[in-house]
Amino acid sequence: MLGTRTNTDLVEAAARGDQDGWDEIVQRYLPLVFSVIRRYRLSSKDAEDVSQTVWLRLVEHLDAIREPRALPMWIATTTRNEALRLVTAHRRTTPVDPLNTSALDAEVDSAALDEELLRAERQQAIRDGLAELSPRHRELLLLLVADPPLSYEEIGARLGMPVGSIGPTRARCLARLRGSSAVQVFLSAGRDMDVTGGERLDFSTVG
Amino acid sequence: MSRGVSDLTSARWDDDDALLTELRAALDVPAVPEHVVAAAKAAYTWRTIDEELAFAVLVYDSSLDDSALVRGEGPRTLLFEGDQLSVEIEVTEQSVIGQLIPPGPGRITLTNPAGPVAETDADEVGCFVLPRPGRGAVRLICRCGEDALCTPWLPL
Repeated sequence: MLGTRTNTDLVEAAARGDQDGWDEIVQRYLPLVFSVIRRYRLSSKDAEDVSQTVWLRLVEHLDAIREPRALPMWIATTTRNEALRLVTAHRRTTPVDPLNTSALDAEVDSAALDEELLRAERQQAIRDGLAELSPRHRELLLLLVADPPLSYEEIGARLGMPVGSIGPTRARCLARLRGSSAVQVFLSAGRDMDVTGGERLDFSTVG
Repeated sequence: MSRGVSDLTSARWDDDDALLTELRAALDVPAVPEHVVAAAKAAYTWRTIDEELAFAVLVYDSSLDDSALVRGEGPRTLLFEGDQLSVEIEVTEQSVIGQLIPPGPGRITLTNPAGPVAETDADEVGCFVLPRPGRGAVRLICRCGEDALCTPWLPL
């Protein structure tokens, strides 16, 4: 099941030759790659090229990644660099639009990448935490965040649960999610502090 | 950024509504086409690359050089350095023109993730010309005497 192996497990497995470990790294971090790419407004073909370059490079960097936190950082930084390379290459072959240039400068801001990375890690922790819950609790949470939103009556009908118990169960499920090992590992790493101006990640040491 | 960055700070982890909002955002992952997922998984087959190859480092790419940008247009040039062998290439509309450093004859292979796409000999001063590949990541594998060099993956 997703979320039961840590980044360290996955990187070690993939470095040992385990294709399943690699596949899970891909599943877990493709969303991060594409959320970083999205900021550069590349064509879908260019986005695919960036993605493929990142994964091909990672195959050769697996042995160099020792610390689990380094994996998403390496992926985000490499994605940014490759996206930027394509954007800059395109800029050289097309007339320079001053508006575009300033937008580009804003996008390379490492603080923005830092935020992206933090959000990606946090959301991954939440998805992994969700995977740790019992199927019934998971199902309730999924129904609670359904789009379009469902009423408690509809949720109760789907789960065969009295409407009156949905509120208390919701609170219990969220407490479980908060207490899941994935979320606890994320919180104990103290990365959340970065949002409010804590230590900044130094990307120059990665990649 | 147009998309707001959610700011689930430590205090807000305790707020049920904030956590549900974050869960909703966490489940709204960018849709990645299946063939992109498949290609990313298939990249792993390169894990078993020929071990005698030395990996070169990209030390210069004119497309990232702001001073070159100011000077104006020109073919993109890249320099890859290895311990024993290095290679410099220029990417024109039609071709990849390159030279081995130190100069000397060799065999050059241009490869994409699926396999070799072009191959040629470097002449006695290490010069070679290859057709420019289509889009997507490629790498050069240069063999010169005992030395074999492999560049990082890069779209050209």
